[in-house]
Amino acid sequence: MSLEYRAIYWNRDKRIYDAILGGSAGLYLAVFIGTSALLYPTATAETLIIRGAGTLAVLLLHVILAIGPLCRMNACFLPLLYNRRHLGVTMFLVALVHGAFSLIQFHAGGDVNPVDSLLKGNSFQVPGFLALLILFAMAATSHDFWLHNLTPPVWKALHMSVYLAYALLIAHVGFGALHSETNPLYALLVGLGMILLIALHLIAAQRSRDQEVAHRNDFIEVCRVDDIPEKRARIVSLSGERVAVFRYDGRISAVSNVCQHQNGPLGEGKIVAGCITCPWHGYQYLPDSGAAPPPFIEKISTYRVKVIDDRVLVHPAAHPPGTRLEPACCR
Amino acid sequence: MTAPLRRAHRRIWLALAIVLPLILASGLYLAQSPPAINAHWEISR
Repeated sequence: MSLEYRAIYWNRDKRIYDAILGGSAGLYLAVFIGTSALLYPTATAETLIIRGAGTLAVLLLHVILAIGPLCRMNACFLPLLYNRRHLGVTMFLVALVHGAFSLIQFHAGGDVNPVDSLLKGNSFQVPGFLALLILFAMAATSHDFWLHNLTPPVWKALHMSVYLAYALLIAHVGFGALHSETNPLYALLVGLGMILLIALHLIAAQRSRDQEVAHRNDFIEVCRVDDIPEKRARIVSLSGERVAVFRYDGRISAVSNVCQHQNGPLGEGKIVAGCITCPWHGYQYLPDSGAAPPPFIEKISTYRVKVIDDRVLVHPAAHPPGTRLEPACCR
Repeated sequence: MTAPLRRAHRRIWLALAIVLPLILASGLYLAQSPPAINAHWEISR
């Protein structure tokens, strides 16, 4: 249910995020190309652009893939998660520059169609081309329009193909750039980035699993009653799930922090007319059941809550979406 | 992130932890041999 649908425009935070992102990418390219031109005066401008854009794309993909596990381990990284799609689109555009210049430089001068030449030429270019196609599909469907029309499960499945793109990119770099650049530093950097990402993801997964097992049967103290402003929420992480604990009219209820519409952060919204209202598009849910008011059908998971001596305790086991649970009294 | 999605991510990264080092090691091993040439490009010259 939408209280009042309003598309997300570029707000102040997004402008600052994009300015920092664009500025950093531009600075990286300027420094890389400038330094390379001094160190390798015989290299052509196209070669420097290919190398600069290629290394920047690899770097950006590592940052993108690190954001998820970092957010699961520490909530202070969450602002990066909300605008991760901007980072993804930027990464695709940079990779596209790398691909386009490579196609022109290495395949446009022969008597064969450049794409045909690419697919039948050096084997390392094919994984790079396939990775670029995946990144294109992701960038093209990154807008909320596609999230809404494809539905969140299909959209998420499509965007998880980024892991395949990453594997193809490692093959592209491992069989390509690392062949022509024999300095072991480059192989070391690629290996370190790969190990860092794998370690981050596996550590985050293990932590979530440990928390899930340790707290399977326990209520967990999340905050004090006074820590939650009236008709607002406090967002907590329980067994890797983000849970919004709302306080309203002398009661406390806990629901999933993820809006069913477009994964908006419900805990950053407030209670309007007795309903939790998503700050992104105004979708609403009843706080005790997590169900949208009739005739709407969206539902989110609910969690059991207890209040003991002004302390708020939440059980980490999620109840099926729409399950009504008695709110805890906090008067 | 829901629990099933978290488990899917874990399985994917466990698989990548095996596959990615193999890909990189293969690339580095083959780097010791001379790089292949682009036949079409050579013919066109």
